[in-house]
Amino acid sequence: MAERSFKQEVQKLRAGDGEVFTGEGILAITKGLLQSGVAYVGGYQGSPISHLMDVLNDAQDILGELGVHFEANGSEATAAAMLSASVNYPLRGAVTWKSTVGTNVASDALSNLASSGVTGGSLVIVGEDYGEGSSIMQERTYAFAMKAQMWLVDPRPNLPSIVDMIDKSFQLSEASNTPVFYMMRIRGCHVTGEFVAKDNVAPEFSALNPVSPQREPEKIILPPNVYRQEQEKIADRWPAAIEFIKNNKLNEWFDGKYKNLGIITCGGTYNTVIRALERQGLADCYGNTDVPIYVLNVAYPLVPDEVIDFCKSKQHVLLLEEGQPAYIEPEINTLLRQRDIQTKIYGKNLLPRAGEYTGHVILQGLTQFLSAADHSLDLPMSLEAIDALGAPLKDDEFELLLKNVPPRPSGLCTGCPERPLFSALKQVQDELGPFHISSDIGCHSFATLAPFNLGNTIMGYGLSLASSSGVRSALPHKSISIMGDGGFWHNGLATGVASAVFNKHDGVLIIINNGYSAATGGQDIPSMMNANLIATTMDVDKLEREQSQSIENACRGTGVEWLRTISTYDIESMKQTLRDALTTKDSGLKVIIAEGECMLNKQRRVKPLMKKAINDGQRTVKARFYVDSQTCTGDHACIRISGCPSLTIKDNPDPLREDPVSYVDNSCVGCGVCGSNAHAAVLCPSFSRVDVIHNPSAFDKLMWNVRQTVIGWLS
Amino acid sequence: MSSPLKSINIVAAALGGQGGAVFTNWLIDVAEANGWRAQTTSLAGVAQRTGATIYYIELIPRVDAPSADPVLSLFPSPGDIDIAICSEIAEAGRMLQRGFISRDKTALITSSNRVYSITEKIDLADGTIEPAVLLDLCKAYAKDLVAFDMQSVADEHKSVISSVMLGALAGSASLPFSKQSFVDAITASGKGVDASLAAFNAGFENAQAGDVQIFEPQTGSSVPLAALDDNRFADPIARLPASVRDIAVHGVNKLCDYQDAEYAKDYIDQLQSICELDDGTNDHELTELTARYLALWMSFEDVPRVAQLKLRESRMDDIREEVGADPANIMYVTEYFKPRPEEMCAIMPARIGAKVLASKAGYKLLSAFSGGKKLRTNTISIHLALKLLSALRRFRRGSLGYQHERAMINSWLDAIKSAAKRDVNVAIEIAKCGRLVKGYGATRHRTSEQTQQIIDHANRTQTGNPGDISTLLAAALADDSNTAFSKAMTSLA
Repeated sequence: MAERSFKQEVQKLRAGDGEVFTGEGILAITKGLLQSGVAYVGGYQGSPISHLMDVLNDAQDILGELGVHFEANGSEATAAAMLSASVNYPLRGAVTWKSTVGTNVASDALSNLASSGVTGGSLVIVGEDYGEGSSIMQERTYAFAMKAQMWLVDPRPNLPSIVDMIDKSFQLSEASNTPVFYMMRIRGCHVTGEFVAKDNVAPEFSALNPVSPQREPEKIILPPNVYRQEQEKIADRWPAAIEFIKNNKLNEWFDGKYKNLGIITCGGTYNTVIRALERQGLADCYGNTDVPIYVLNVAYPLVPDEVIDFCKSKQHVLLLEEGQPAYIEPEINTLLRQRDIQTKIYGKNLLPRAGEYTGHVILQGLTQFLSAADHSLDLPMSLEAIDALGAPLKDDEFELLLKNVPPRPSGLCTGCPERPLFSALKQVQDELGPFHISSDIGCHSFATLAPFNLGNTIMGYGLSLASSSGVRSALPHKSISIMGDGGFWHNGLATGVASAVFNKHDGVLIIINNGYSAATGGQDIPSMMNANLIATTMDVDKLEREQSQSIENACRGTGVEWLRTISTYDIESMKQTLRDALTTKDSGLKVIIAEGECMLNKQRRVKPLMKKAINDGQRTVKARFYVDSQTCTGDHACIRISGCPSLTIKDNPDPLREDPVSYVDNSCVGCGVCGSNAHAAVLCPSFSRVDVIHNPSAFDKLMWNVRQTVIGWLS
Repeated sequence: MSSPLKSINIVAAALGGQGGAVFTNWLIDVAEANGWRAQTTSLAGVAQRTGATIYYIELIPRVDAPSADPVLSLFPSPGDIDIAICSEIAEAGRMLQRGFISRDKTALITSSNRVYSITEKIDLADGTIEPAVLLDLCKAYAKDLVAFDMQSVADEHKSVISSVMLGALAGSASLPFSKQSFVDAITASGKGVDASLAAFNAGFENAQAGDVQIFEPQTGSSVPLAALDDNRFADPIARLPASVRDIAVHGVNKLCDYQDAEYAKDYIDQLQSICELDDGTNDHELTELTARYLALWMSFEDVPRVAQLKLRESRMDDIREEVGADPANIMYVTEYFKPRPEEMCAIMPARIGAKVLASKAGYKLLSAFSGGKKLRTNTISIHLALKLLSALRRFRRGSLGYQHERAMINSWLDAIKSAAKRDVNVAIEIAKCGRLVKGYGATRHRTSEQTQQIIDHANRTQTGNPGDISTLLAAALADDSNTAFSKAMTSLA
């Protein structure tokens, strides 16, 4: 199952008319979808919307009762293509993914969908992974909305607005025959709050009441239809959208007493603006404001009449548009210029062009704006005072502070099955390296960080092998690509393996198979699926995997001949296999499937069983590792080839030694990697495995007593 | 316009897996029970594994009025934080770095313990930061400070740190909520309630006492002998400078345990000869450093030493305590050994060992017996074998390994002495290189080589510049691939 279970929370989704619903943004969105009569949902996991997929997955009973179809799609492209159900039929559909990466993957289908146009409301709920906490390159979804002519909804981040805008977005999509991006920022996805629920609505058409198939040939994206579709976007769909937004007041205007000033903000940053105004004494905690605010809950398209109305009576307007490049600012300036309105627009000239608009950034920008626009305003905080708040320490103290605040890069979890692979790879690099390695998206991306420092490029999910194809001809060694099982199924099989075999790519592909999509929170993938739809990752002792789609067969199907499946925990074999793959005379792609179960999941599976066995009086052996601080000399080589969180350091008990000794803390799960490393890398004699026998058998007791007695004599 | 109400803004910093989400959920329940609204948000992202995670919570009283839906911020902002609560002292430092601690506003509640970061852990020597510096800065910049080791309080009550954090928050009286409402929230959560409550109460008491404690890592010596009871050592040690005596006592104890009293006497004699050349710079730093590193080097870890340490009686008790096994449990300890032919030759008589090592056939034969071994210490045969190996220390002085190390030690001492006659500061730097010699196998080989090269450099150039030596030492400790060191050697050549 996924790392976090929503089994209990999803019961809230049954809430009916008038009930107060409390919970996280993600749950509110799901409830909003059900209240809107959604007919089908899908998507691909990735922060910050991973939990949305988990919620949908855990809510299948409720979805089923309503006749809502759910798919955990193979990729964002799959999810986007699923929306084609709404092209011909009045089916409301919603899919979700992490953006902009997911949007990029989905773009082929999205562009075609946007060109065809939709009959049923179509939502793409994008988790805008931008700013602090993001895990990807920094871009905005806005550009995609503009170029494909899809609308972009950016609601105010409170639960009533979030839920209300889901229904409105479906309506907007239907009124303008256009798919809609519904954007949630990272913090908005995880925000908690409450709203008054409505009854769930079953979709009109579903498996319970099928549509009658019908063809609308003009919607197929072939010439000459595509020329007409482009004209239609501009002539019909765009004006229809603007009309709908205007008539239904999707954007909001909060008036204030300073009539010559104004602020235009996207919905997602509204709360931050109110807090900044509040701190400057210009708003209260309920959103009452002295400075008029125009909130763009629909960030694209703009409604020209509304923008003009808001600006024309004002002298100074501040536009808060997060990220780069600026799209709204030039648009507003053009609108005003065309009508010869002289209102001054402030935006990227005061606020940063790039980066997240945090509370501090907006407070600084707002203060600059207010000081420039109206000298008579008496603000409680000057710009200098605000800057000082951000840097309270004196320079020398700040320097001292920085020296003592260590960075905490992400790393692999305790007992992670990927760790021994990278330990092995690092040791083989010492023999044959240095290596150029094409890395991929997944937990294994962390191998590019300390302590492994393995990997040169990351080009996208499942794209590591593809990204080796150019550089391989210029490398002194066979190309090395690392891919996760998630990336393999998402993209890697076609763009990587099939293409490499086709091009006679003489390189090494390591596919890490831990049985689930680990980095995104433990979702199912094709190679590991239990009958009950919720995966438990692989139990290597129990070969249920035979029922699932096998990575090995998939590779062989594309023509891979050199293929080895190795347990990652067997470091010596892994090293030997890596050496073989890198030095073999056999041509063609060499695939190593490195498999090992996620230890955290294994703990979740095994721990209750072990506890029960101990309580039931069954003989049970519990293992963990131990570093002898008497023999450890504090060189930490063991940590440099492991990085396990449970392998840490502590002060040296020897008063003569100054360097801390290595130390295994109580979070150790006994995976054995540090012991295997001590052997494989010939480290030191300090590692021991400690086996504690609970409920020992009579034989255990006998042997123990004999041994203890004899050892007692010997000592 | 002024706000009729002001939210209480709380930033909570934890590390992945420390229960930050549980803490936040308890806090929401407490607020709700007191008629307040809570808005929380978090940044999980890729920090979910080992990284620093931040939770942000705003609390505001509920008001029964139409359109009284508060608009709360999703961002913690400098100057706008009432309470910062951290599960670790370096994370408190990070809050300070980000401007979240304001002198006129922010109550800082932090655990004073350390969870070492990977950058600290991978250092070749000691890369740890100084928590005391952080605590001083916290004291200087927080409006109120509660700091104590919440992790050990949690351990004591077999609970998790989030319970202690909640207790500390309640006990700090920074929130207008009764203790009982916190207790109720924990009780209602229904999982491990007793342990959580015990940890909560302990956290509460600590915070009420206004605790500010400095994290003190545990240290202690387990060496049993007392050098000062023996006149052979007591007198010469008494003649050493005061700043050196403690170390010399530890050194003598260690070497008596390692070999015998005669061996320890040799140590004291060597130390005295260095002391005579020490002009007292920096409180006799030269003698102090030599006392420390000479004792460590003379007790280098050869096979008999490792066997001796593995058999030490207190060891099994230490392990039992560490893994939480009570004396009634049966507990087996499996050692991971991988001696190379080199280590095996090192315990042979010097002449034989050297010959075996030099001959291909001999090396091959030994290789057959080397390789990874997993040995169960508390079985009779392995215990006996270790005992036998340990007993070999009686013949240590004749062994190949001993003669090799002894020659290096002598060349190090000679270099110190020769430099001390020119400039004590240079000698001090050479003495510091004793820190470098450690580890086993390839590590020992690399660090020994580097030390020898530094000694050779000092002898060859007769350098008067202590900076040269310290540069080389720093370079040797910079990486384990010898890259920085060979670069530094080249630039000095």
